Amino acid sequence: MRNASDTSTPLRRGSSAVQALRGAGSGRLGPFAAILVVVAVLATWPLLAGNPYMLSAGVIVLNFAVFATAWNLMGGLTGYVSLGHIAFFGLGSYGTGLLVIHSEINAFVAVMAAAVVVGLLSLLVGWAALRVRGASFVIVTIAIVLVMLLVFQSWRSVTGGSTGLVVPRPFPDLLRPEHHRVFFYIFLGLLLLVLVSYLVVDRSRFGQALKAIREDEDKAQSLGIPTAMLKLAAFGISCFLTAIAGGVYALWFGDLDPIFQFDVVLSAQIALMALLGGVRYLFGPLVGAIVVGSALEYFLLNFGETQFHLVATGLLLVAVVLFAPDGVLALAAQLIRRLGPSATSIREESAAEVRAQQDARALAERVEEPGADATTDREDRR
Amino acid sequence: MTEELGAVALRTEGLSKSFGGVHAVDNATTEFYAGRINGLIGPNGSGKTTFFNCVTGMIRPDAGHVFYRDRDITRWQPHRIARAGLGRTFQLCRVFPRLTVLDNLLVAVHPPHPLAYLGRPRVASLVERARGILARVGLDHLETAEARDVSYGQQKLLELAAALMAGPDMVMLDEPAGGVNPALIERIAVLVTELNAEGTTFLVVEHNMEFMMNLCDHVVVFDRGAPIAAGSAAEVQQNPLVLEAYLGV
Repeated sequence: MRNASDTSTPLRRGSSAVQALRGAGSGRLGPFAAILVVVAVLATWPLLAGNPYMLSAGVIVLNFAVFATAWNLMGGLTGYVSLGHIAFFGLGSYGTGLLVIHSEINAFVAVMAAAVVVGLLSLLVGWAALRVRGASFVIVTIAIVLVMLLVFQSWRSVTGGSTGLVVPRPFPDLLRPEHHRVFFYIFLGLLLLVLVSYLVVDRSRFGQALKAIREDEDKAQSLGIPTAMLKLAAFGISCFLTAIAGGVYALWFGDLDPIFQFDVVLSAQIALMALLGGVRYLFGPLVGAIVVGSALEYFLLNFGETQFHLVATGLLLVAVVLFAPDGVLALAAQLIRRLGPSATSIREESAAEVRAQQDARALAERVEEPGADATTDREDRR
Repeated sequence: MTEELGAVALRTEGLSKSFGGVHAVDNATTEFYAGRINGLIGPNGSGKTTFFNCVTGMIRPDAGHVFYRDRDITRWQPHRIARAGLGRTFQLCRVFPRLTVLDNLLVAVHPPHPLAYLGRPRVASLVERARGILARVGLDHLETAEARDVSYGQQKLLELAAALMAGPDMVMLDEPAGGVNPALIERIAVLVTELNAEGTTFLVVEHNMEFMMNLCDHVVVFDRGAPIAAGSAAEVQQNPLVLEAYLGV
């Protein structure tokens, strides 16, 4: 029997290219190498970008990519779609900003300190929010953002309210293009950190249990998985990484306004990026961030400050739901599988493979036979 | 009779649960025996599944207690009950559709300590054990398939295999014969009998009477949320209360 399971290729899903997309190669180090390659490719952007504007657009896209990948650690692995992650991004920015303004500590130490505090805070929030599932969870996360927005707008003495909070730059001597370039590489380092974090979690028993929660939470519990604790841990890690992104953003942009730091629409767009790229894929949120981020910048350039970019984002979302419900990477994987040499319908099969398939079919029939159509059964019960 | 059947594994005392005005489980006091195949039967809507869910912690009972091996497990979290050795399957077969058949088993293993969660899921010894269980239920040739790609009958077997992977002392099966063909029903019956002979206690909820009568050592009959009879299969079949509940005589 071991023999049959080893050789029954038709059951194995996808080629190695597909696995690389998923970041789930059979090798131990393959996906880590893939991350390095992707980061190295992205690192060429400052050389290609012709002007400071293009460079700053790259920083924004990378910021989205870090944010969306951190989001995916929760949203993709557990299936809990948070539209409120921007609350933790905003808290990270304000925490960092206030620390830099009111203390002497190094700006990047401030980022980490703020992120740790926000991470701990997210455990409290998550403890309450994760008691509900599905649509209720989504609504609770939106409520968190709205609460934060009100608090930070009203608490003027500390946050500066709608006037904004100016955060001193960590490198005051740098000219603007240089400033963008430095922060591009800082965000790239951050992207490396979140991609590796996601991969490590994804390939651990922790990640496997999170996926079980995503598939069927009751079932996971009934098998002894402590779902409440694991969801909370994933939420905490995700929020911690999000807060780091927020802190670095504060140092880069230098001016914080609650209306942008706690922007529900942006929060939803981050989720959209992950969904568009493919939440089951390591690089899904990154691809989504590049597509949506570039599109947003493009629309802003061409249509100015109209609401057209919102319409365009909506249309994009509709297109994704219709044509690539599992994300563009899933679509790409499908194409590779169809066109790739290993998966054509007229692929040659070795005698051993055919024999293994026949064995498998015979066994399956032994289980199914006789009569009773199992597929119809299944449909009926749905 | 208690002498014959041996020690009690699972016991409920005055267990009650209502939904709105409906008393789904109404003051149910029951006993199920260790090392036996226990059955729970009853007409549709008699509260079997609600009873089941109260025992396994999926639903919080309004009143009453559940004792498993003399420990009061009422209001425990479901995962804690599972870890105490009381496994279960679901009425409409539930597997993790996007995980492979093998991973469906591997997730059911409890890491010895929290840090082990950081390790890789495919520990060689566990994979070997999982393959052994898959071979036993006849699914070993499908281990790399995603669970959603196998047939309904195979998913039923997979669900049983995953429950076994957790290493339970007692397994509660909710309608194992529901929606599957006669050959598979027979196969499941044989598996349950064999596993029972090796020491696993079972509690089977079913309304397929024939299946139950051949399988069970001890049968509890439910009607309107409470037991109306208990005894051997032959005994309860003769019981006028049972006949009335089933046939409305």
